[in-house]
Parts: sequence; C-alpha cells; structure tokens
Amino acid sequence: MKSSQISRGIGRRTLLRTGAVAGLLPLARPFVLSARAADTIKIGLDNPLTGTFAALGKNELIGAQLAVDQINAKGGILGRQVELLVEDSTSGDTATAVQKALKLIERDNVNFLIGNINSALAQAMANTSFEKGVFHIVPGGHTDSVTGKQCHWNVFRVCNTTRMETNSVSKLLLDKYGKKWYFITTDYAFGHSLQDGFEASLAAAGGTKLGADFTPLGTSEFSPNLIKAQSTNPDALILLLAGDDMINCLKQTVQFGLDKKLHIAGAQQELEVNKGLPPNALFGDWVFEWYWKQPGVPHVEEFVADIRKKSGGSVPTARTWFGYAAIWTCQLAAEKAKSLKPIDLAKAMQGLVLPPEVALMPNNPYYRIGDNQLMPTLFIGHSQPAPAGGDPEDLFAVTQLVKGDEAALPVDQTGCKMEWPS
Amino acid sequence: MSQLLLFNIVNGLIIGAFYALMALGLSLILNLSGVINFAHGGFLAIGGYLAYTLFPYLGFWGALIASPFLVALIGILIEFVLIRWLYGRDPLYSLLLTFGLAFMIEDGTRFIWGAQSLPYQIPSWLAAPLSTELFFLTGYRVFMMILVAAVVLGLFLILSYTRLGLRIRAGTLDLETVSVLGVNVRVLRNLNFGLGIFLAGLAGVLAVGMLGLEPTVGDNLIMPSFIAIIVGGLGSLPGTLVGGLLIGVASGITSVFLPSASEAVMYVMMAVVLIARPRGILGEEGRF
Repeated sequence: MKSSQISRGIGRRTLLRTGAVAGLLPLARPFVLSARAADTIKIGLDNPLTGTFAALGKNELIGAQLAVDQINAKGGILGRQVELLVEDSTSGDTATAVQKALKLIERDNVNFLIGNINSALAQAMANTSFEKGVFHIVPGGHTDSVTGKQCHWNVFRVCNTTRMETNSVSKLLLDKYGKKWYFITTDYAFGHSLQDGFEASLAAAGGTKLGADFTPLGTSEFSPNLIKAQSTNPDALILLLAGDDMINCLKQTVQFGLDKKLHIAGAQQELEVNKGLPPNALFGDWVFEWYWKQPGVPHVEEFVADIRKKSGGSVPTARTWFGYAAIWTCQLAAEKAKSLKPIDLAKAMQGLVLPPEVALMPNNPYYRIGDNQLMPTLFIGHSQPAPAGGDPEDLFAVTQLVKGDEAALPVDQTGCKMEWPS
Repeated sequence: MSQLLLFNIVNGLIIGAFYALMALGLSLILNLSGVINFAHGGFLAIGGYLAYTLFPYLGFWGALIASPFLVALIGILIEFVLIRWLYGRDPLYSLLLTFGLAFMIEDGTRFIWGAQSLPYQIPSWLAAPLSTELFFLTGYRVFMMILVAAVVLGLFLILSYTRLGLRIRAGTLDLETVSVLGVNVRVLRNLNFGLGIFLAGLAGVLAVGMLGLEPTVGDNLIMPSFIAIIVGGLGSLPGTLVGGLLIGVASGITSVFLPSASEAVMYVMMAVVLIARPRGILGEEGRF
C-alpha cells in the first residue's frame, strides 16, 4: 500500500525524464556560455566583497569598473569589448578564494585573473594561476613572497611589497623618533612581512626591538597590548595592523592618551581606515601607496572626478587606483603583445611602463624585470583631521615621495627565481 | 611584571563585563526559548548603526538610550515573523536560521550604511584616561562598567520582582506548566526575546565607542558570548556573568605572556570546562 502511494506521487517516467534533462544540463550550459564568451575579453576579479576587507574590495572594484568602461569606450582590448566577472573571495577564507579563482579560470575561461587583497589569499591564488598558466595580476596583496620567494612568471603585482613600504619610511622614523621600537602586529602573512622589514631596518641602524605582540586578525580589544607597549617606554610604537584592527587600535590608543606619550607610526595606512576614525584619532606617520590630492600631477583630477561619479561622491583611494591600474595593465599588455596568450602577455609586461593617465603619480611606474613587481611612488606623510574649509576626505598630509625602485630590494635579494616555461 | 599583570587583570574585568552583557542577552533567549541566536552579533551591529544614525538628532546620550529600545523592537518583530516557528524543534533549526539571519543582517547593514567604516565619536570628557598611571582606565570604560553593572542589576531585579521576570524564570524551569497556568507563552517568549536583543543593542552602542563601526563589528564578539555561557553554565544567568568576567580576565592575563594566544585561551577554557564540568561553573546538572 505504502509503495503504491509513494509511486503515485512521482511517476517513473516523470522521474526518468527529469533525470535525463538534469543530466543534459551540464553539457548544454558550457555551449551556451561559450557562444556568448567568444565575443568578449573576460577579466575575472576574485576579491573580498564581504567581511573585514569589504570596503577595500569595493574600492578596488570601482576602480576596475571605471577602467573597463574607459577601455571599452576606446574600442576594448584587441578590438573586443571587455567583460568584468566579479567573485567574492571572502576576506579570509583561502579555500573559497581558490575555488572562485578556479571557477573563473575553468568555467568562465577568463583571459585575465585579478586578486586578492588578503596577502595569504593572493599567494594561494597566485599558486593556482601558475598551475593553470593564466595571466594574473595581484592588485592589493602586499606580502613579499608574491613577487619574492614564491614568484611566478605569470603573476604580476601593482601594490608595493611590504619591504618597499618599510624601507620607504624607516629612515624617517629612525631619524625623527629614535631607535627603540615596540611592535603591535597583525598575526598573518602581511603583518609578519612588515615586521620582518622593519626589524631589518632597525638592525641595520643599530636599533632595539623592545617587544612585539602578534594579534589575531579581527582583534577588537588592544588594551592589553597597549598596556604592555607603554610599559617598555619605546621611542616609537609601530602599529602593523590591517583594516578594522587598525581602527580599533588607534581609537583605543587615543582614549588611553598614548598619542600624547608615544610616537605612533607604521607602514601602510589607508584612506578607508582614516575615514573610519574620529578626528582625534587621526595622527601618526605612515605610508600611503597612492593619494588623491596631487596638485600638478596630470590626469589625477579627472580620475578623482570620474571616481566621485561612480562612488556617490567619495574620492578614490589607493585601492581604487590598484583596481584601475590592474585592469589597464591587462589592456596595455595585450596591445603590446598583440596576443592573449599568457606567455606572450607576460613577456610584453617585462619593463612595461604605465602611461601618465594610468600611473596617476609622479615618476614613471614600471613592472620590474625579474620579479614582475610594479615600481610605483610611495607617499610618506602623516594622518590629519580634515583641514577647516577643506575637503572632508583630505585626511593625509604627504610630506615626502619615495621612488619604488629606491625602496625595493634588488631582485637578487627578494628570493625570486623566475622560471619561464620552455 | 606584577604591575603589568595587575593592569591587565583590571582591564580584563572591564572587557569581561562587556562580554557578560552580550552573553546575558544570549542566555536569556537560550534559557527560555531554547534558541541558539547566532544573529546576536548582528543585532549588536544594528545597535551601533542606529546610534550612529540618531547621533546628529539626539546626541550621544539620546542615541545611547533610544538605540537599544529600537533594536529590541526589531528583535520582537523578527521573533514574531521568523523565530517562533522553530520552538519545540531540534536546536539545530534555530542555529541554522539565526546563522542565515546573521548574514542577512551583515549584508543589510552593508547595503544601507555601506562597507566603509564609519567614525563614531564619544564625548571628549569620557574619552580621556582617569590618571596618568592607570591610563587604561578611561572615563568611557569606567562608565561602561557602571552602566553594565546597573543594567545587570536591573535585569536581576526585573527577573526577581516583576511579573514578567517571574514568568520568564518559571518558564525557564517548566514552560508547559506555566502555559497550563494561563500565561500566554507566545507573548512571554516574544518579550523575552526582545529583552535579550535589548542587551545586544546596548552592547552595540557601547562597542562602537571603542571599536570601528562596520558591518562585521559583532562577528568577533559573538563567540566570546557563547563561551561565557558555556564556561559560566547553561541555564544560569549568574553563571553567565561570572563566565564573561573570567574569560575577559583570562584573555588579559594571557596577552601579557603570549599575545597571539589571547583569543585561543577562551577556547581552551571552554574545552576544559566541557571536559571537567560540562554543566559549567554555576550551571544546573542535566539542564541541557
């Protein structure tokens, strides 16, 4: 009785028909997709859109979207329009980032892969793109290994290495504040790389590391670390934190009055962080990788105006520029190579100089031969509350520019041993 | 070293009080309704964002008062629309639903207020340390301790001396009998959920004075809340309070010797409690 009742619900023929259709779907879909795909150049962006790096990822996406619009308006890449495919890598899940990268590569057949903000995810994606032989640009993942010990012929990077950042600002901090430093560092690839760089600078200057606290990514409470740091009476408290961790630490630093007792500094700082801080927490010496206020530098004002239209009035940040430069790099490489083959693109990238309308900074950034690392300009300065009567997003005062190739280690010291396919 | 340790113990008590506030709300909901509210951190975030939105109109103090009540109303609505269908079912159902709700709240706050962190300024006289030596005792943290203590006292008074509180306590022990005695259990659960969410909203307003206001602000605070409940004892509000304070102090002490383990130590404590005394420090045996 029961089995006949069950069989009355779904008939055998219906079940077989449904199964057959379901079985045919995977065969049909790629055919349909590839019919569409043949018309466009596809760039896959695998970056955080959720989680702690969501704001940074959103800005890289806006920059990338502007670049795609501009490229398509000028005829696309090799005469074909560009399509940007976006995937959310999450902010910290390596497995998801790699899975999304594989999806872009294998299912969507992207010509170019872009990503990731998170250093650990960027490295994992780079290793994946290398296995698959796909041209890959890392716009905003800073750990040295991406163009260092784990460099690959097909992987290029727009943002600075952590070593470039620390080298660019070390001398200023040593000269200005002294040689006894205490570190509070975020406990993952990015933080460790930064601290290694600063420790090397400190050692070279005969300085002393008074202590170092590694805090898990996503730490909200820094009071124990600040209590310890203060007890050592350092010349400078070096904060090597990312995103919201930096916001939390700076807010607590100022609430403890430590901004008046200690010199606060670090390497990378971002406008996204400064915008999340109350005015009394905007202090300290930092490195910005790009800044929107560059009087006299060609094309910057137009870029700022274009991004304001896309972002609801906000100025571009360094992240916006990373996304923008990464996409334009794809176009420049393809036009130079007259090809979409990864090996041809990679060879065309060797020594490629960004034109002023893409560089948007003084000097001429170029991709260095030997490690595929862009050599941009670094902006050294200090955070500031918005000047009275000025732009509310003018939260950083640039005091010094450092050329990337002067801050970078020579290729033979980066650990990069580039092996090209035969 | 001893001074450093003392500083961190005192500071740990302050942080622990905050964890306890979060955990009490979670515990209230769990005890009466058997709902594991994984969206508790999301409600904390809503509390922070509503305070930010109300600040230009009501100022810091007005936003501090209004925001938790608004979050509680949202909680009551969500309980009515979503949560109440899960009563009596396997706790896994509520965990899964509230887990999804947590993501919805995160994406919702990101959609409404954006992914960018928002600056939230507390009054300057609160933001300063009370003394040069005890610099970590800021006016804001002391205020937070006093407010948490007052709220916890208020909660215990409500539970001990008001009709609602007595019914909540009775329902925690035997909801069926409470229902048979003519109490509208549906309304009771609804109000209890609102009370728990009120505490989450208050925690959110307090949190954004110290932390960055962004959609994931509650994510890193939800796990210490669960751990506080387990360490303190499932079903016991005093235990939850003790649990919150203990994990705050443990985290503070650990950071003196091994900062990278300051978060992990909470999980170690949870594991030890589960192995050695599964009901928690003040929990009732056989409760769960």
